[in-house]
Amino acid sequence: MAKIEWGILIVNYLFLGGLSAGIFFVSALATYLQQRDEAAYARIARYGAMMAPWPVAIGSLLLIFDLGSWCRFYKLFVHFRWQSPMSIGSWLLVFFTLVALVNFWAWLPEERRGAFIAYLKLPPHFNYDLSSWCRLLAAAGFPLSIGVAIYTGVLLGAVQARPFWNTNLVAQLFLFSALSTGCAVLILALSYHRQRLDPNQLRFLYTLDICLITLEFFIVVPYLIHGELSVQAVKDSLELILGGPYTVAFWLLFMGIGLLAPLALEVWEVAPAMASGTPLHHNRGLAAFIGVLVIFGGYVLRYVFVYAGQLSYFR
Amino acid sequence: MDRRRFLKTTSGTAGAGAIASSLSCSLRKRGTVSRGGRREVPTTCELCPNKCSVVAVVEDGVIRKLNPNPENPKSRGMLCARGNAGFLQAYDPNRLKRPLIRAGARGEGKWREVSWDEAFDYTAQKLTAIKEKYGPQGVLWSSTEAFAEIFFKNLGLAFGSPNIVRHPTLCLSSVNLAYSTTFGTVPSFDLLNANYVIMAGANRFEALITPDTMDLIDSTMNRKTRLICLDPRFTVTASKADQWFPIKPGTDMAFILAMLHVVIAEGRHDKEFVVNYCTGFEQLTEHVKPYTPEWAEKETEIPARDIGRIAREFSDAAPRAVFYAGRRSSWYQNDFQMRRAQAILNAIVGNWDRQGGMVPNAKIALGEYMFLPWDDPKAPRVDEMDKNFPLAAQGDGAYLKLRENVLAGSPYPVKGWMIAKQDPLNALPEQAKTLRMIEQMDFIAAIDIQMSDSAWYADVLFPESTYLERWDPIEVMSGIWPVVVLRQPVIKPLHDTKPCLEIVQGLAKRLGLQQYFDFTIEQWNEAAAKELPIEMPLEYLKKHGVFTPPGGPKYGATLNPEHRFVTKSGKIELYSERLQENGHDPLPVYHSRPEPPYGKFRLVIGRKAFYTHANSTSNPWLFDFAPENRLWINPASARSAGVADGDQVEVASSVGAVQLRAKVTQEIRPDCVFMLHGFGKRSPWLKRAYNRGGSDAALLETAWDKVSGNAAMHETFVKVRKV
Amino acid sequence: MPDKRYALVIDSRKCLDCKACVVACRAENHVPLGYSRNWINEEHRGTWPKLLAAFEPEQCHHCTNPSCVRVCPTGASFQRDDGIVLINEADCIGCRYCVVACPYNARFFREDKGVVEKCTFCVQRVDRGEMPACVETCPSKARVFGDITDPDGKLQQLLATREYRLKKPETGNGPQIYYLI
Repeated sequence: MAKIEWGILIVNYLFLGGLSAGIFFVSALATYLQQRDEAAYARIARYGAMMAPWPVAIGSLLLIFDLGSWCRFYKLFVHFRWQSPMSIGSWLLVFFTLVALVNFWAWLPEERRGAFIAYLKLPPHFNYDLSSWCRLLAAAGFPLSIGVAIYTGVLLGAVQARPFWNTNLVAQLFLFSALSTGCAVLILALSYHRQRLDPNQLRFLYTLDICLITLEFFIVVPYLIHGELSVQAVKDSLELILGGPYTVAFWLLFMGIGLLAPLALEVWEVAPAMASGTPLHHNRGLAAFIGVLVIFGGYVLRYVFVYAGQLSYFR
Repeated sequence: MDRRRFLKTTSGTAGAGAIASSLSCSLRKRGTVSRGGRREVPTTCELCPNKCSVVAVVEDGVIRKLNPNPENPKSRGMLCARGNAGFLQAYDPNRLKRPLIRAGARGEGKWREVSWDEAFDYTAQKLTAIKEKYGPQGVLWSSTEAFAEIFFKNLGLAFGSPNIVRHPTLCLSSVNLAYSTTFGTVPSFDLLNANYVIMAGANRFEALITPDTMDLIDSTMNRKTRLICLDPRFTVTASKADQWFPIKPGTDMAFILAMLHVVIAEGRHDKEFVVNYCTGFEQLTEHVKPYTPEWAEKETEIPARDIGRIAREFSDAAPRAVFYAGRRSSWYQNDFQMRRAQAILNAIVGNWDRQGGMVPNAKIALGEYMFLPWDDPKAPRVDEMDKNFPLAAQGDGAYLKLRENVLAGSPYPVKGWMIAKQDPLNALPEQAKTLRMIEQMDFIAAIDIQMSDSAWYADVLFPESTYLERWDPIEVMSGIWPVVVLRQPVIKPLHDTKPCLEIVQGLAKRLGLQQYFDFTIEQWNEAAAKELPIEMPLEYLKKHGVFTPPGGPKYGATLNPEHRFVTKSGKIELYSERLQENGHDPLPVYHSRPEPPYGKFRLVIGRKAFYTHANSTSNPWLFDFAPENRLWINPASARSAGVADGDQVEVASSVGAVQLRAKVTQEIRPDCVFMLHGFGKRSPWLKRAYNRGGSDAALLETAWDKVSGNAAMHETFVKVRKV
Repeated sequence: MPDKRYALVIDSRKCLDCKACVVACRAENHVPLGYSRNWINEEHRGTWPKLLAAFEPEQCHHCTNPSCVRVCPTGASFQRDDGIVLINEADCIGCRYCVVACPYNARFFREDKGVVEKCTFCVQRVDRGEMPACVETCPSKARVFGDITDPDGKLQQLLATREYRLKKPETGNGPQIYYLI
């Protein structure tokens, strides 16, 4: 019987990594979809770009301090071992964070840039204007953000000793959950802004999130069904969420509060507009609430998987 | 494609991998790290009586590891958990480091560190005072087996005291006496070559790891030997046996008598052997007539047909069949007679001095250092061995009877107590009486390596060097294949300690007895080793740690008509006239043991190989396995006592009560409870073991075997309740 | 077939749970209390008087396809040509991925050192031509250690003539502790 080796710091890191990846992805998507030579959903793009680097930066710091010998963390970047998802992921993370930071700089308004350069006491010519690079950065960052989101799942899925994890569905589940939480953060950002709530951009996010949550469903259900029909060790491991200690967390907190509830609310928001063209409710509070539900669900998913997985084993 | 090959080829061609390899700091592999100054010193373990040979590995002056010495054919290149952990004794921060004299009240724990001179002078002064007032017999000298025990014992004798008491009557004197009464000597059991072994109560696979353990596990598990286990508890031995019977405690004799009945009635005994080597067969035949398997079934709760079957299988397998005698035989008040029945059974199937049977111990002649002899003590022993236990080994004493007499002050007062390598407070049953005995003493001194419970109550403490820090006399480990072992210092003493001989010499000087101990350990060993049939014997022993005579085990030396057994008749005595002359049953007569009254249980005690014996108590690596003992109790009994697994319970007998946690387990009969010996320590210097678990010594009632004086430790009934 | 591969054959029926191997390992490899590189699995079952007690020693299986080596991001976990899986502490960052990835829970994280540790088959002894401490000390001689590729060796002889089982073979790690049945 295993003891829990990876604890809440790892859960936080996986969540925050996925969050950054998701935010970047949605922001990049918003950048890429152009209308009249301009980003169609400019506010989403800008908010996303501003926020994308920070969760993963914090998460990475947490991760480094979780290491047993954290001062040796640089060794991750002295070696590359393609068979180790952690090695691949570390490199992916570095490149992703770099691109996200450059993207952040590209989207930063002129005056803020100037102020930052002055604060660093650097000469003004350091104030590079990269705003023309936005589409390029979005394109470069797409695969990196997807990579970061997926690798958090591969990290777990590649461990054949833990039957709860050892399925190729885990990577996809984490991917779509990461993208969905990214959406949710942007929904929160939009609802929070003091300016008028932009129904167009909100609808874009709702629609995207509906797709993502639905995709999550299409992964969780086969995961459960296949698991129940699989070898004894996998069946036994599913007991952890079918009657075991993580049952309530999985079904109520994740599936119920984290998936079904926001899905229902988003559909309720969007469906009338799609069906009959009536305007959105555009309720600021409701939007914020939906954002929180999704983020909460994403966190619980990571929590359940990291903990339950470590308690599963082959006999 | 085979996964392994796939990975090999791809990893070889992965460009990133190649770059990474050149980038990475060289993968320094962990190989041998050479440390300065590594020495290997062969010596002999001291954690239990088996004295296995070890090789100590010393690096930079610190003992790092004890490895088994493959040159000893008895210990056969193995070392048990205690043997492995033994070197921690030397590095125990709480061990006795310099002589101490009590500074407060006895048992208060206040000590003064003193010089050796002061300790010797004070002790000699006190002993002389007792000698003047009560005679030299007023000092008791008690010790436990050790290579250097002879020096301590001799000091007591030279002092003039007849009251030398050793540990056998707390352990195995009944089985030794029973077998010597029958065969004139105590044999060893050739378990390696036996085909059928009955092990009753002895827990060779769990209580202690001995050469017998190794012989038996090998032969049993390779299905050459059938092992039958009789035990009220499902021990590790029971789990490995071919058959286990949860025999009712105290009824072993019934089982054996029934076996005798079947073997004789069906003519399955070795007739030629009986005629040539035994006396008393006719009386035996008559005697066992009423002891049928059906009768035994009622006593033992083992089905009659199984008893019959085992008797037949046993005799079929003979002479490679043994009823194992066991070691700690301090069970019941009729233990001697029960072991006699065993000896008789072993005798009539003719397994004596045969391969796979019981073999008298071969010895190796050692030289003797000729020291000055002293006059024998004049006074009779305080335990009046000649009156109470005339057949028992007189020099060893009967500890419990001795204590009774000392407490009563009759036949005369004993006011001084010298203890060496012993913890009487835990070794003797009925701890309350031992405490009273301590209180009665004018003076107590102890030679020990740690502050045991008994040391805590002493007036003077002499810190002995541990077995890894001293020379000891070389010894013969007799057996079917005897060897000579040596103990030499592995490291210099870490503290201001001395070996037992030097402590004895220091005392002797102040007592005016130095002329009897006027030698060094080197001289002693030179003389002893001189007779060994090798060149430069002492040098050889220092290099190898053990001398093994060539030729292997030998059998049959006594199986010739000229051989005279050391018995009255000169033959193996099935019927013992000597017993009869002394008013004991010449053939074992069965009496049921009383059963525990309703609501009480029989307390059975035992050992666990990695823990047992006082010197393992505070060893951190051993303590880790069993920080406390638990009371084993059957689920049905637990229910009736209202106890659940893990509950703190109070166990109370007529002489004491202790608290420990319950272990509700299927692995014990409902009429017994079990606890491991050696817990519930009272000495605060035993930092880990202090107050952990419960002391069996506090619970056990005083009782002893009639013939040998051996303590009877399974006669106590206890009440159990949840607290 | 590699040139050499070390493996362990254990006859669990002979194991008495005497803990000699655990103590010997602790001494040989300076493993502090609270951690253990090897352990004895216990099974007790039955109702009185039909009872069973069985003991099974275990430690790192030095697998042929070790997932712990595969997942290590720095290469600190590596396998020698003779099959012994080791940890180069200088490269270990203490991420504990290998601890999570081991199907046998043979690895553990040393809080005091910040690195991961496990049984090394007493590589320092093996390289001197000696047996691992646990093998040498066992009173039952329940353990046989050696080169499983050696056609004249003890291991091949045992495995050819006795039934045996592996633990958790379905994980695909290729464990190299063979338990004789």
